[in-house]
Amino acid sequence: MVANPILYIALPLFTAFLVPLLAKLWKPLVRIIPGLVLAYLAVMSVVLMQQVGPDKPIITMIAGWKAPWGINLVFTSFSGFIASLISILAFFIWLYSFKFKKVEFDDAQKYFILFMLLTAGSIGVVLTGDIFNMFVFVEITSLSAYALTAFYKGRDGAEAAFKFLLIGSFSSIMLLLGITILYAYTGTLNMAQLAMLMPQVPMHAKIVSFLLFFVALGIEAEMFPLNGWAPDAYSQAPGPIAASFAGILAKAGIYALIRVSYTIFDLGNDGGFELLLVMGLITMVVSELVAMRQENLRRMLAYSSMGQMGLIMIAFGLGTKEGIYAGLFIMFNHAVIKSLLFLASAYLVYYTSRKKISDLDGFGKLLPLTSLLFGLGAFAIVGLPPFSGFWSKLSLLIATADNHMEFVLATILAVSVIEIIYYFRVLGRLYFRKANTEIKVRKPTWNSVVTMISLAIVIIAVGLHPDLITGLLHNAANTLADKAGYIQKIIPDLFSQTLN
Amino acid sequence: MRKLVIISLLLVLGYYLLDTFAGAEFGKDRKVLSNYYLEKSPSELQVANAVTAIVVNFRGFDTLGEVTVLFLAATGMGTILLRRRSKHTGLNPQRTSPEASKIVQAAGKLLFPAIMILGAYVFIHGHLTPGGGFQGGAIIATGFLLLLISYRQFKVEHKYVTWIESLAGLTFVSIGLLGIVLGPHNSFLENFLNVGTLNELTSGGVIALVYIAVGFKVAAELTGILDTLVNIRETGDID
Repeated sequence: MVANPILYIALPLFTAFLVPLLAKLWKPLVRIIPGLVLAYLAVMSVVLMQQVGPDKPIITMIAGWKAPWGINLVFTSFSGFIASLISILAFFIWLYSFKFKKVEFDDAQKYFILFMLLTAGSIGVVLTGDIFNMFVFVEITSLSAYALTAFYKGRDGAEAAFKFLLIGSFSSIMLLLGITILYAYTGTLNMAQLAMLMPQVPMHAKIVSFLLFFVALGIEAEMFPLNGWAPDAYSQAPGPIAASFAGILAKAGIYALIRVSYTIFDLGNDGGFELLLVMGLITMVVSELVAMRQENLRRMLAYSSMGQMGLIMIAFGLGTKEGIYAGLFIMFNHAVIKSLLFLASAYLVYYTSRKKISDLDGFGKLLPLTSLLFGLGAFAIVGLPPFSGFWSKLSLLIATADNHMEFVLATILAVSVIEIIYYFRVLGRLYFRKANTEIKVRKPTWNSVVTMISLAIVIIAVGLHPDLITGLLHNAANTLADKAGYIQKIIPDLFSQTLN
Repeated sequence: MRKLVIISLLLVLGYYLLDTFAGAEFGKDRKVLSNYYLEKSPSELQVANAVTAIVVNFRGFDTLGEVTVLFLAATGMGTILLRRRSKHTGLNPQRTSPEASKIVQAAGKLLFPAIMILGAYVFIHGHLTPGGGFQGGAIIATGFLLLLISYRQFKVEHKYVTWIESLAGLTFVSIGLLGIVLGPHNSFLENFLNVGTLNELTSGGVIALVYIAVGFKVAAELTGILDTLVNIRETGDID
């Protein structure tokens, strides 16, 4: 098979332009072709992950110009891991949603176009080696996310989308300003060359542009207090889209934030990581406290998702290899587990317009499989053994203990208790309350059952055999920590010039 | 009080931004990227307009992204925009506006073909003269805008808009993919055709073809967006 990282972007774009024509040919193609493309990309991820190693990233030129003259895609053990995660998850979300009832033909066309572009944009953010190109992909990702938020026509959806649009546009402007400053001071847009030239940039310009990046990407990565868009967007978007916001969109946002803070600015000595750590702590504590008070299931999951993003920021804010490892592990788990929770919850609240937790009484008997899978996801996300969430939380706790940050460690543990309280409150309603006899339930379709069970198998398998994934995570963590290696692999000529 | 805090915060932010931008020497010759582009555009690509060479070739990937952004804007527009019915008449405000005068209508009809030709000229000659696909496409869309505002019953056929934008997008990506197969470095969006001679219409290889596709795509999308804005369909749920 042809395995070239450029196909991650080229194929979904091709499909997105092709789908309107396919609709005129034979309508089911609108659902089938995107799935085939995503399946191809998922398989390609596995192939590429076997080729890539810590010392041999796959660097793809575009238009035949080497970096820094042209744009390039950099598939390393780190970026490749996230890109593979996104592409495989995207396939599962397609599998879940291709028969989703509310998606009729006309809408299905729009839905799959937007979903393909959301995926392509997110993978583009992760793989690109050029900072302006990253901006373009952030735009593609956010625009498709706005439109998907308002997918179910109605006032609430439009309001959520409009809110998201306003905050997102603000983020875009900040990002563009930050890029402008960097370009004005260094004369390049290539990330590796930027990283190399960064010591020449005066400190005040560095700080201003870092803060602009931090705010802009913090919005995408759901950092408090910039995450006002998230609860509305998560609760108004269709179920599978909420799952892809958690698993795909937020992952691309946090990746960009990490790439910028670790590789380009490398603020390890100037307090940049402490900023990440503190913001992560605040995000986690506030989100989890708010999550406890939610009565809407989707909103509760959204706040829990932000809490997890806070946890990831804490892990990367430690600035050590163990921290990076833990952060990547949580990213993986969050993508898989939160997707499962959102996908299962879409059936739990199918017929209730307000999606209230109090309407879930006795669903354990009405929808046994969905409730069981939701429960499994809840156990995994709070970090109970033997599920995969346990190992990621444990590795984070060990990493904080190694850094002698007892306060952070204690806070994470305390917040975990809060998490347990609000997830178990839902489980208690599912299993220990009498069902309302008049309630209508929607049985999950076979394809969504397959999706949810596959995700559950991943959670249990990684929980029982964490070595399935730890090798990949260690490679990824080492690659991110090796900044000089990144520069040297991408612009070897310029790198050796500076050494002489 | 709250306003005072906001204003002072904005002033602080403004000061630091001003300070940073004042410190950057804009226009300073860094001899890094610009000279390379200026040198390579005429010599290797045979493209007289260096801006086009940068937009379509050196940074063609960004352009593909921007075209996609426009495509998304056109696709997502209808989902986000809802229009309230007027409480008194129950009609859209736009429908109650009077018909444009005969002078506007006649002039619109007269100008329309000229605008089309100008737009096509701008994007076909994108690699030779200032302008290109985005500019040419925008010019063509203004032609349709003229018809939309002068004739209330004028409707853009969405069927054709969809065909044009899809085919143009497919052309762009296909040219890119052909670069992987046929290009000398096997990379996406790479030139694989004969670059010809500088300053001739057939110079620049795929650059001219890509810009023509971009021209069609931008024209179709902007026209679609204008039409959507003029005739926002009423969907349920409006109270």
